[in-house]
Amino acid sequence: MEDGLLITCPEHDLTTAYLAYFSKEVIEMAEKKPLKCKKVMDKDLHLKGFSEILQNLNFKFIVLNGHGSPHTIYGYKENPIIEMGENDHLLKERLVYARSCDAGQELGKECMKNTKEGCFIGYCLPFVFYMDSKWTAKPGNDNVAKLFLEPSNTIPISIIKGNTTGKAHENAKRQTVKIIEKLMESQLKEQETPFYIEALWNNYLGQVIHGNSEAKL
Amino acid sequence: MKEFEINESVKKVVIARIEAGMPQHIKISIGGKDTLSKEEMIEHVKKGDEQGKQIIKMHLNFIKAVTSGELLREINKA
Repeated sequence: MEDGLLITCPEHDLTTAYLAYFSKEVIEMAEKKPLKCKKVMDKDLHLKGFSEILQNLNFKFIVLNGHGSPHTIYGYKENPIIEMGENDHLLKERLVYARSCDAGQELGKECMKNTKEGCFIGYCLPFVFYMDSKWTAKPGNDNVAKLFLEPSNTIPISIIKGNTTGKAHENAKRQTVKIIEKLMESQLKEQETPFYIEALWNNYLGQVIHGNSEAKL
Repeated sequence: MKEFEINESVKKVVIARIEAGMPQHIKISIGGKDTLSKEEMIEHVKKGDEQGKQIIKMHLNFIKAVTSGELLREINKA
């Protein structure tokens, strides 16, 4: 397996547009490392197309942005790109971060069964974030979304920096708790802060790791 | 993860919190669909559909973490 990053960035609704925007930081970090990087966008994000990409490109590190469910990770619109029992075996010996709802429940566990070098980090609950609709045209200015998407970026960035998957998982969890603590200290300032705290706690609670937690690039 | 009982009084509490505390300009991304506005959040909680249940569970999981001391323990470790 070759050191390299394959990252999916569908952009068909606000959720995926935000995930794609905040993935720029991950891609920049990979380019800086330097690490070979392939960004896969809308038209290639369907089951057949993505399976072919995974079969033909032997990159070790896979970051999947998009909607999800316990058995499926989606690409563009309603198109699955990873389906349990169909093509999840293509992830087996890779390092995978799925920023998708619920895929850590079943799919992540299943695809890392009996793996040697592979590891899956994802969420066994919905991955939740809030956004400020005043900034949807400029997500980079959205300080609300940053509260959620920056700690989640810690996972791929830690892996790119050479940390083990276990350490990357732990780094993101610690960063999430630190943001919760900071918000709790300032929670009287904004009426909506308690909602952000409980959503961050949801992501903390839901973040799971399956497979080899000593694996690294 | 342990399932909570979601009854009408829990729904009422969650709706009251959203009505009182959520500004109009904030949206949420939750549960495999696109974002929800404040009004849409309330509507899903009222219906008790998948996204409504997810919003309620998020609220209940947080209360559990606070009351059990789990949140405080994690903050002290961080």
